[in-house]
Amino acid sequence: MNKKSPAYVLSFMAAICLVFGTGISVVNYATQGLLAKNAAMHRNRVLCRAFQLDVAGTSAEAYQQAVDAALRTATVGGRTVYECGAPGREGVGFVAGGMGFWDRIDVVVVLSPDLRNVLNVQVLDQKETPGLGARIEEPWFTDQFKGLSVAWEAPAESRILVGANPAPNAANEVDAITGATQTSMALMRFLNDELAAFRAAYSAAPQPLNPEP
Amino acid sequence: MASTYGKILKDGLLVENPIFRQVLGICSALAVTNLVVNTLFMGFGVTFATALTAFTVSLLRNYIPVRIRMIVQVVIIACYVMMIDILIKAVAPDIHRFIGPYVGLIITNCIIMGRAEAFASQNKPLPALVDGFANGLGYTAVLVAIAIVREIMGFGTVLGYVLPARDLWWHQWTIMVMPPGAFFMLAILTWIARARLVKEEAK
Repeated sequence: MNKKSPAYVLSFMAAICLVFGTGISVVNYATQGLLAKNAAMHRNRVLCRAFQLDVAGTSAEAYQQAVDAALRTATVGGRTVYECGAPGREGVGFVAGGMGFWDRIDVVVVLSPDLRNVLNVQVLDQKETPGLGARIEEPWFTDQFKGLSVAWEAPAESRILVGANPAPNAANEVDAITGATQTSMALMRFLNDELAAFRAAYSAAPQPLNPEP
Repeated sequence: MASTYGKILKDGLLVENPIFRQVLGICSALAVTNLVVNTLFMGFGVTFATALTAFTVSLLRNYIPVRIRMIVQVVIIACYVMMIDILIKAVAPDIHRFIGPYVGLIITNCIIMGRAEAFASQNKPLPALVDGFANGLGYTAVLVAIAIVREIMGFGTVLGYVLPARDLWWHQWTIMVMPPGAFFMLAILTWIARARLVKEEAK
């Protein structure tokens, strides 16, 4: 067959794509179980960090046990809500997510039971620029959220402020990341959206979410 | 034949080293070298992708239509890199969280396409495999050398192990774990390596 003919070129390209596409599918299929296990472990680890739970070790089982022992889950408005009743660590948490600069960002937000304060924010998943936007995972940034007030009386888009603001307010404001303004703004935007949606659903749900048997 | 393979290995590792001689793959060299463990995984990814791409391109060299050879090479590279990405994600998820964006960027690493175009498409599969492997290894060796110095100076650790009594005698240089640290180290290493090579060539 003439190697320059369009039919040969097309068939060759199709064959290459088919063979290599199959190869990727096989690798993906073979590692599915492991990937799911890793994802579950990561989620539990972030929950432990967010609720500041004591974990006996660093294994997947240890994180699972810590989460099972301390957190109760319920579904409110289509989202999973985590409640912690351990003395001194009472809080209610949920996964807030939205579009970052490059891709979706998911964070675990823990609020005080009365929803007035943020107790912790921990990043679950992000694909921002390493060294810039990806720094939202670093403790110096996430630590700023500990104890932050949620200004429920303010307009929905400014209940939590990230970065400089025309009406600065130390009680509900954290510093943005230099060089990652878009990531910081995106975080502020979806945190405020998700907080409003969460409060509406949580307040409408029958309390307590997890009545004692 | 053995001497041919030896020469290919030596070229990839030293004489024609992709980093300090061909100046390819610099972006990831600067980005992932603040911890040795990250560098090792990145090196594994690039070596694996370069070697297998070179082997496959060489195997298909008589069948690939000339006009679309680069597209075919990119497809091959992309598929191997995606496989590596999935494997690292499965085996070392924490490392993948840090180097993940760069693993995807291996597709655009000039070393792989450079070797596929310059060597693999004109040589038999086995020498092409050795050439790809040698270039990947040359890349890894330089990166690991940079990473060891950066990790020691920046964190006072090697592969995560804290140096003995670090807090008594060492104050971490934060700049070494930041991007400028990589620039300093790469420049110094390239300077030393090139100076030595020029001296050897003069002999």
